[in-house]
Amino acid sequence: MGGAGDYVSPMPDTVSPVQLARAREKERQLAEWLRAQGSVLLGFSGGVDSAYLGCVAVDALGPSNTLAVIGRSPSYPEEQWATARQVAELAGLPVLEIDTHELQDPRYLANPANRCYFCKTELWARLAAVARERDIATILDGMNADDLADYRPGAQAARELGVRSPLAELGLTKAEIRLLSHERGLPTWDKPSSPCLSSRVPYGTPVTIARLREVETAERALRELGITGDLRVRYHGELARVELSREELSLWLQPARREALRRAVCAAGFTRVAIDLHGFRSGSLNILGGVYAA
Amino acid sequence: MNAERLREGLASLGLDGTVEARGSLAIVTLADERPLDDETRLAAVALAREHGFSHVALELTGGTDHGAAVHRD
Repeated sequence: MGGAGDYVSPMPDTVSPVQLARAREKERQLAEWLRAQGSVLLGFSGGVDSAYLGCVAVDALGPSNTLAVIGRSPSYPEEQWATARQVAELAGLPVLEIDTHELQDPRYLANPANRCYFCKTELWARLAAVARERDIATILDGMNADDLADYRPGAQAARELGVRSPLAELGLTKAEIRLLSHERGLPTWDKPSSPCLSSRVPYGTPVTIARLREVETAERALRELGITGDLRVRYHGELARVELSREELSLWLQPARREALRRAVCAAGFTRVAIDLHGFRSGSLNILGGVYAA
Repeated sequence: MNAERLREGLASLGLDGTVEARGSLAIVTLADERPLDDETRLAAVALAREHGFSHVALELTGGTDHGAAVHRD
């Protein structure tokens, strides 16, 4: 990837030289850590964290010792895979795509608070088999230091299967990863987080492919209306609760705009639409369900 | 969670309408399609929290044809 001359947009002007130096030092430690592994297999979504980690890994180890694996399933929007492939190509990352089958697991479909555990157990077990077949030393995920504060049962599955989280282990925060991604000219540096579609369904409400498609269609329709930044359509039966970034919230709460938003979401299959007045919150349904990090 | 107290509080902010409670989510339907500035929005969020709701959402009722409050009780 490119160096300082390849910025995709201006550097965030709120970053102090001290913050920048600290982030670069962590990146140096990350590259050293990766070299010590010899070869790595990375669970790859093409999001901010895994794109950055893949980019540093391929720089540190070379493409012959780095493999990015995309685990495809209906619990992610179709666009995600196209984006992941593009990002991998841009970063020079070798990619393998496999299908995962968490939607055939009744424990996952029941949507308990630890749903992610069953999904990630399926994903990492399949990736561990790939790593064994190809004699790859270490399996990585893109969990960062900020993620440690959220309730993440998927992280337990990763630990049980020996997956390492170097971004979290070396204390790299989301802000630092965005900054360093920007320095590398990665187009993902300002990409919103995009957890799986099941995260839109409250715990205890069964996950079905039809519900996931309803959410996916509604979110795509809202993007087509021009909504940018963080966006979630939360599933509450016949009602969709839309979470927007603060900037978009001010805009879409204007009476003249509300109807367009309502129609777009109703066209996906919901009969009632509400805009969350707080706006986007990561882990919103954890809060609603009273589920917090241990 | 107290939907009625929240409804009264919202009315005191000039937001007349109904409140439907779904667990700790409050769904507010306004009696008219009034604009909601940031200050009022944040006051509504604080009020909802005060009455035990972790989330408060404004239902979009479909423009002038369907702008009246919907009673669900």
